Amino acid sequence: MSALAWNIRRLPTPLRSGRVLIGGGIVLAIAVIAIFAPWLAPNDPQEQDLFGNLLPPAWDPLGDPKYPLGTDNLGRCILSQLFYGARVAMIVAIVASTGAMVIGVTLAHIAGYFGGWIDMLITRLVDLWMSFPPVVLSLILMLGLGVGVTNVILAIILVDWTRFCRVVRSDVLVVRQRDYIAAAHLLGFGHFRTLTREVLPSVMPLIITMMALEMGIAVVVEAILSFVGMSVESDVSAWGVMVADARQNMYQSVWGLILPILAITVTVLGFNLLGDGLRRTLDPRLRQERHTAS
Amino acid sequence: MSLVEARDITLSARIGDISVEVLRHVSFTLEAGETIGLVGESGAGKSMIGRLFSQLLPPGFAVTAGELTFDGLNLIALSATKRRQLLGKRIAFVPQEPMTALNPVLSIGSQFNEHLKRLGVRGARARRDLAVKLLSEVHLPDAKSLLGKYPHQLSGGMCQRVLIALAFAGDPALVVADEPTTALDVMTQARIMALIAEMQKLHGTAMILITHDLRLAAHVCDKILVMYAGDVVERSGARALLADPRHPYTRSLKRANPTISGPRIRLPTLPDQMPGLVEFATLSGCRFSPRCPVNADDCLAGGPALLEVGPDHDVLCVPACASGGGDITEVAAPPAPSGTGADMPLVELKNVSRRFVTRGKWFADATTVDAVRDVSLTIRQGEFIGIVGESGSGKTTVARMIAGLDRPTAGQILVRGKDAGLQTAEARSERLETLQMIFQDPQSALNPRRMVESLLTQAMEADHRNHNAEERKQRAQYLLREIGLPGDSRRRYPSQLSGGQRQRVNIGRAICVAPKVLVADEIVSGLDVSVQAQILNLLLRLREELDTSLLLISHDLSVVRYICSRVFVMHEGYVVESGPTEQVFADPQHDYTRTLLAAVPPDDADAPWPPKFNEYGLLA
Repeated sequence: MSALAWNIRRLPTPLRSGRVLIGGGIVLAIAVIAIFAPWLAPNDPQEQDLFGNLLPPAWDPLGDPKYPLGTDNLGRCILSQLFYGARVAMIVAIVASTGAMVIGVTLAHIAGYFGGWIDMLITRLVDLWMSFPPVVLSLILMLGLGVGVTNVILAIILVDWTRFCRVVRSDVLVVRQRDYIAAAHLLGFGHFRTLTREVLPSVMPLIITMMALEMGIAVVVEAILSFVGMSVESDVSAWGVMVADARQNMYQSVWGLILPILAITVTVLGFNLLGDGLRRTLDPRLRQERHTAS
Repeated sequence: MSLVEARDITLSARIGDISVEVLRHVSFTLEAGETIGLVGESGAGKSMIGRLFSQLLPPGFAVTAGELTFDGLNLIALSATKRRQLLGKRIAFVPQEPMTALNPVLSIGSQFNEHLKRLGVRGARARRDLAVKLLSEVHLPDAKSLLGKYPHQLSGGMCQRVLIALAFAGDPALVVADEPTTALDVMTQARIMALIAEMQKLHGTAMILITHDLRLAAHVCDKILVMYAGDVVERSGARALLADPRHPYTRSLKRANPTISGPRIRLPTLPDQMPGLVEFATLSGCRFSPRCPVNADDCLAGGPALLEVGPDHDVLCVPACASGGGDITEVAAPPAPSGTGADMPLVELKNVSRRFVTRGKWFADATTVDAVRDVSLTIRQGEFIGIVGESGSGKTTVARMIAGLDRPTAGQILVRGKDAGLQTAEARSERLETLQMIFQDPQSALNPRRMVESLLTQAMEADHRNHNAEERKQRAQYLLREIGLPGDSRRRYPSQLSGGQRQRVNIGRAICVAPKVLVADEIVSGLDVSVQAQILNLLLRLREELDTSLLLISHDLSVVRYICSRVFVMHEGYVVESGPTEQVFADPQHDYTRTLLAAVPPDDADAPWPPKFNEYGLLA
């Protein structure tokens, strides 16, 4: 036990948190599955086996060992579809949250650092933007942009950059007041250098935490939009599409419904645990408390 | 029977796998109406004694031996319910940070209402009347309208008055005041201490005063315990202790603080700093011995015992020290650095004023505050200048304007003969090499995500000089030697340094570009006296080696007297008096200067302090 405790103490701070380890482990596992889906999947996810449709998982006496988690109403392998569906989920999660982060954080820095009329302008824009209900806004955007994964990503970015902007701006405002910003000016730092070397590193923990949470949100939004058929084309596997397809036969076979929902839940849980754990370990205030307590 | 009796208290703490004694064999008695002072630097354990009364100990801390009785009740064994009945009523507390001790979202009136309700005063009307009476007792003007105000609308001194009024509301038998004036300037300190003494007399209350200021304690207490690393190292009557300290630590504590009168003595400094809790476990024998100027062999063997050296005067030390052996020899301090004469002033302020205008919201009128009014001063090569005044006198605004962080609304600031407002690249870089600022709070002035090396050489990162890593490393090593930090602290973060070390890094960063003028805003006010002495001597050494000038902003007159050759006294934005420091301090001309000087606890133990003030806050 003490040997284990000693080992844990030697890890970098964020990894000492159980939440980060579990959440990060889940996210990493799903990422690996997404990357290696063609090698990991037992079958082609779109190949239909009309004689073996709605099969239960392999451990059921009626199941077929060829389909470890059974098949859907068209006889497609559920496990393989889940694996390929992880690709869509992960791409949307990473690209959409990065895009929202870049726009939101850049505007937050400009607003919080320079203040004055530019801050006023950006803050009002965020207020106006956030007064649209996000679901309605994303549906309108989807109608305007048309269906497709790229447009799902674009819609998430356009809806959620405000979340980053508002939260990060308030942190930038706090850091701006610190004496080390004034000190940097006196040492000859220009605005750009001050922003990138002094302000950005200070708000980085917040950004990392928000990124993790935003990825979870992106997974859910993508699932919703593919559920209503606005995301991927019909021949691409996505978790939302699987849920939508399984609805018709849910009384004959519930696996097709439960498994993709489970996949979404576990993924979002993973991102949320990771985000929460990172918040706790990276936030200097919470870290301080732990130090004094120990 | 005494009101408070502490018998041989030992407080232990578990830190990880080890157990350390945070307090060892603490004993004292306190009679009704008496005042006892607990004196020592941070980490001495003096606040822990205060916490014993409330039993609000950090997790892992427990009293393992001894007992603490209050009015015959053993506070350590007392049940939580019984103790709660005592706290706030019979035992009251005055906290260190008056601004944070009041709930910011409740008005003063409702905080009184709540407290008085708990004390059992019935009827909203009666509580209100009593609150007004209590607030007038602490000399707060217009007590009625004050009840509707919120803490942020009051100054630090006013908040502390409110807290004192709250503490004395229940007519307590004992008040525990933990550094009640540390966050306040000297003038406010003198007024608050006078007020506490008056309230004590009025209510017949005993007080435990926890402070790091030996002179302050000597003037307001009846007896004093000096603490070091959890030990009571000296126990004596207050005046006798200041007049004739016996323990080497008490002696160095007294000497480490410069005086405002008499000969200027070079401040002796102790090596290192107070050991941390974890280090307690590794110290055998006398815990002070590693830093002690005597440090005889028998100091390490076995713990020393309290020895009686006079009537009511005990010292925790081996006899050699107690009899006065190993005394530090006094060396006269070199004269404070003055200018080198006829050359052009480096910085010149010509009739500078700064007015702050707060725009009124909606229909409210705009308010104007004149922070600085018509100030003129010059700084010459190699000169150390001081600006003194209480908080709100405008001295920090002057510093910020000189550093270029703020612009005057009238008048002109010249840096090497050029207007400080010039924004051409050339003018900016010349200003940068001429003038640097050392900020007040190193906690806020050092980016917590940079390592010491990166902080020290931050100036080399700026646009026009791109130095490589090797150059920066060498510069950092040179600066570390200059500021007296070990070479291995290069790769540490500010959070891994002590307060004094952080302030050294703060200074090191400013001297990286070898500026001609340093502007230092209250840089020693948050530090322990022995660390303060180290920093002051460091500044004097930098003057010798680099020929820098210094503008020191401080409310501590003794510090200014120790290192500054000229002084400017500021009051409400005006410079009310200026001249050579010795002359101004020895023969002050303005009433305000006289008051400011009288507010400093004097070195002479028998001189009366705190002084009486009239209604204008000046000396009566």
